[in-house]
Amino acid sequence: MASVFSSFASRLILLLTLCSGLVVGAGLWLDYRLSRADIIQRVSQESEETIANMVADLENLLDGVEGSTLFLGRIVQQRDHEPTVLEELVRDVVENSDDIYGATIALNPALVEDPLGFAPYYYRRDGLVVSKDLRQGDKPYWQRPWFREAATGGEPRWVEPYFDKEGGETLMTTYSVPVIRPGGVPTAAGGGPEPYAVVTADITLADLQGYLQRLNLGSSGFGILLSRAGVVLSSRIPGQIMHHYAEVVDPTELPFWQQLIEQVQDGGSATGRIECPGLSGRCVVRMGALQSTGWPVGVIYSEDELLEPLRRFQRKTLVVGSLILLVVALAVALVSRRLTRPLSALAEASGEIAHGRLNGRLPTPRGEDELAQLIRSFAAMQTDLKAHIERLEQATASRSRLEGELAAAREIQMAMLLGEGEAREQLAGLDLWAKVLPAKSVGGDFYSFHLQGRRLLFSIGDVSDKGVPAALFMAKALSHMQQLAREGLPPAQRLARLNNLLVERNRNYMFVTLCTADLDLDSGQFEFASGGHPPPLLLRDGAVTELAQDMGPALGLSSGLSFATNLERLEEDDCLLLYTDGVDEAFNESGDMFGLERLHTLLSRQDSHDPEELGGTVFQAVRAFSGEAPQSDDITVLVLSLRDSSEPRRLELAAGHNLVGRTLEWLQGQLAVSQAPDDCKRELLLVAEEIITNLDRYAGLEEGDTVQVALAEEDGELCLTVTDPGKPFDPLSEGQRAELGRDSATAGVGGLGVHLITQLSDRQTYRRVDGRNILQVYKALPV
Amino acid sequence: MELNTTVTVDKENSVARVALDGALNTDTAPAFEQRLQAVIEEGYELTVLDMKDLDYISSAGLRVLFKAAKQVHASGRRLAAANRKPHIDKVFEILKALPDMAVFANEQELDDYLESMQARVRDGD
Repeated sequence: MASVFSSFASRLILLLTLCSGLVVGAGLWLDYRLSRADIIQRVSQESEETIANMVADLENLLDGVEGSTLFLGRIVQQRDHEPTVLEELVRDVVENSDDIYGATIALNPALVEDPLGFAPYYYRRDGLVVSKDLRQGDKPYWQRPWFREAATGGEPRWVEPYFDKEGGETLMTTYSVPVIRPGGVPTAAGGGPEPYAVVTADITLADLQGYLQRLNLGSSGFGILLSRAGVVLSSRIPGQIMHHYAEVVDPTELPFWQQLIEQVQDGGSATGRIECPGLSGRCVVRMGALQSTGWPVGVIYSEDELLEPLRRFQRKTLVVGSLILLVVALAVALVSRRLTRPLSALAEASGEIAHGRLNGRLPTPRGEDELAQLIRSFAAMQTDLKAHIERLEQATASRSRLEGELAAAREIQMAMLLGEGEAREQLAGLDLWAKVLPAKSVGGDFYSFHLQGRRLLFSIGDVSDKGVPAALFMAKALSHMQQLAREGLPPAQRLARLNNLLVERNRNYMFVTLCTADLDLDSGQFEFASGGHPPPLLLRDGAVTELAQDMGPALGLSSGLSFATNLERLEEDDCLLLYTDGVDEAFNESGDMFGLERLHTLLSRQDSHDPEELGGTVFQAVRAFSGEAPQSDDITVLVLSLRDSSEPRRLELAAGHNLVGRTLEWLQGQLAVSQAPDDCKRELLLVAEEIITNLDRYAGLEEGDTVQVALAEEDGELCLTVTDPGKPFDPLSEGQRAELGRDSATAGVGGLGVHLITQLSDRQTYRRVDGRNILQVYKALPV
Repeated sequence: MELNTTVTVDKENSVARVALDGALNTDTAPAFEQRLQAVIEEGYELTVLDMKDLDYISSAGLRVLFKAAKQVHASGRRLAAANRKPHIDKVFEILKALPDMAVFANEQELDDYLESMQARVRDGD
């Protein structure tokens, strides 16, 4: 899904479809709400009209019957008629009124000669009007309800429905009208006057039913009609007719009906809702009463059925709405796809560009719309980018060439310094360490040291500025200084000479501050001269002091200067530290300077006088102080520590290239300051070479292994100790030696070397300790 | 420590003179071996190793000499050493190296030897 919504086109389609869907939906909903009210009102009006029509029809029917009967009664009231005439009248009434089922004029038996009375009855049977004499039957007709009630009541009335077995032989209700002549005889009971006759007209319940069935209130709607006493005259269910309503309704609904019927009997109408008999849903019951008879009349219909048109309308709205939405969505999709197709193509092409494929084809811009502008901008960007990258590639190429040259320059420059920028020299009674850390790839700081017999000559210098010009000037100063040192000049004269040499052709007015010194290893006399350089720091007994110095100007600016000689006597365990201003003038990110105070404090806290450890601490402190600030100047530190000459001097050598050469170089240096005779030195050197050659070829040393060489001078003998982590190998055992004389031409180098080792030294020991071979050879010094 | 080798050839007498100056040790031996091999392959009757300026020799250097001596002897020619310094001599002695190699203590001995060799050649004529 994420991929679908990540597409602009998809989002556009979705949003537009949603929006138009909402608009269409809202319109349809509003239309539905308005139409719904209309429909409901119309339906309810229709049902009301239907009911009103039915009631009016019933009233008309009853009014017609009442009118005919009253008219007949009036004729009988006016005068006496011949029996035949009366019969004729009755017959006419039945024949002329379709609504009247049967009629009679029943004379009061008390007022006629015939004790059986007179009551001719005419009614319809099989489409014909036939007559019957009501005098027949079990019960005299004046005792029947239709006569008795009218006679005693003295008023016209509708008689409760009954089955007329003596007369019409059907279910009917009768309108009875007493005919009372003026001056009539009062009744025997003392009520009103005795009626002359009772005139009646009958309506069959079947006819009434017919009226009610004309109601059109849906398939399940029907009418009900009750008599005044509550007997069912008409209903949908034939079995209910002639029963009291209380007998036929559900007992739980009885109170509902009772209340409804009570309401309408007082006049007016009433409406209620019940569960539809035999249908699901609610039914509406509307009731009223007929004016003429007071009979409760009502209709029951299903509201759901009546509201069917509304639901049809709902369905139609839903279908129409969905169709509109579908069409809108399709249209939106088509339009969006068409509009965003160039956008997709552009996105794809820009993706290609982003991946560096700058030759990707962009879509062709059409017209002047925003998209076309965007595509044109992209095309311009693509071209510019290509050109820019080409330029960048060229620039990078030339820059990397320059960087390569600078790196080479740094290598060359460092190669000029002993140890290529970091050197250590351990001699009898002396341990020296020096390091330059250039600020840029090439710098202007340097150090140098040089042993002449028992004299150590060393210098530290700082050329103004840094970078390539400083490096070139430094090279000049360093090579002159080394030359002057070899010439054996004392420090002050070296400075004066160097100054004159540097002034020559110094068109850039570069200069160098420099401290150069001689240290007599036997007497501890320390002689130094300074040209604008900070004085050496002396660490003695845990205190740090600046050596007092008579300082001359920096070198290289004016010729013919002279420099003062400073003298100091150093003692065993003294330590000297010389530095360039890259140390004390190092800045941190907030622009604070490292300063001399910090340097003094740092040094006074150091217990160790190991020059490498001490110097390393200074570099570390400066780096920690500077933090993220770039190194502003070259940093150089030279540390020199004096110590007991009998202490062994050690060298750790990484196995590998030129192991022999490196060892001998160091050993030569060590032996140079020894008092031992030259023969001794030479032979020990040869012994060392044989030992190391053996190691190098046969010990199976691997990269990362270290060989330790130590030289000690004690008790009138020189002791050389070589420790290696190689294969267990005792070169002193007899089996390792080549047989001399005979196989010397074919013998391995090692086999011959062992002879030299044993013959040229006075005693030898071999041990294997902790996986390391330890070979010690001793050479006695002549007394 | 370095080694400078100078070769001078007396074609008339078929004598090559190889002068060693410096140290013949592990470092310098391989280069010297090549140089010496080239001289030997020329087939001179006598190859003289002049050790007047040789300050130092180790077993690696001696091996080169052993090998050269063996080759020269096999083809009936000769290898000689001249002007060995005492400490170089000591190394030779310790290793009992090249007992049959002619050794000339100084220039005079060498010159005498050459003279006698030339005389033999002349007599042979």
